Amino acid sequence: MEQNNEMSAKQSLELIAETINNSRKGIIRNSGKHFILWGILLTLFSLAVYFLWKASGQAMWNCLWFAMPLVGFPLSYCLRKKSDYTAPDNLISRMMSQTWRIFCIFSLSVAAVAMIIARTTTPIALIGITPALVLMFGVAESINGILLKNNVITVAGWLIGIGGLVIYYVSGINIGQMLIFTFAGIMLTLTGVIVKYQNR
Amino acid sequence: MFPKLDSLLHSELRLAVMSILSEVESADFTYIKKQTGSTSGNLSVQLDKLSAAEYITVEKGFKGKMPCTTCRITDKGIEAFRQYVEALRSYLMPSDSSLHSE
Repeated sequence: MEQNNEMSAKQSLELIAETINNSRKGIIRNSGKHFILWGILLTLFSLAVYFLWKASGQAMWNCLWFAMPLVGFPLSYCLRKKSDYTAPDNLISRMMSQTWRIFCIFSLSVAAVAMIIARTTTPIALIGITPALVLMFGVAESINGILLKNNVITVAGWLIGIGGLVIYYVSGINIGQMLIFTFAGIMLTLTGVIVKYQNR
Repeated sequence: MFPKLDSLLHSELRLAVMSILSEVESADFTYIKKQTGSTSGNLSVQLDKLSAAEYITVEKGFKGKMPCTTCRITDKGIEAFRQYVEALRSYLMPSDSSLHSE
């Protein structure tokens, strides 16, 4: 872009609109790779918990979930550092990352409360952790869809939340419920791919 | 009577820089360079002009061991940008702008 001081009013407004639009697309595209990273991690961890739990019969393998942020956050940091520049945050990217940050905090808290406190005070934890988490996941995904104005992501969020709940009640409390998270992980990865390619 | 356009903003590269910075909290030099497709030298000169007018702040620091220049739009810059866009609109839709001023 060179110096040009002879722009018409229409050209100036077009330049502003185009620059803002390109910048927005770049910022949102940048967040796509983080969706893909966390989607792949969720898929892998859910499969790992599923197979280890199934093989050993020990529900304690669910503790493996707590390792997911320990792996994910350093990888996310590396992904950010790998870029030759820091993509800035705008309102949409900030709201998207905050939505998932809140989801992460709530998920770890719900799981910790159910595993530690409920076990010591009641014989069984009365909250179904899987449906609670899958509902929160669906809500977070749908909010992202609305922010991105993408109906596929919004509906995918609803499908994960409500569909996951239906699968949970239909299949009952068993190891197979871990596969709901595998489904959620695949949907999150697909969201990342859509975000990345829709904003090319 | 049409309002006068801010000559500092009525330049392709400076206007693009202000458009980018109006959308984000801050942006680093490399990002602005990539978005505008400008050369480093030209961008530096234009950033200095915007900074001298107090439309933006330019902060030089380090990201790890690499030098990093971060730019941020100021309140004065936001107001100037807003007035510039309003002025452009009044050029294109004079009747519309008179409605707004009533």
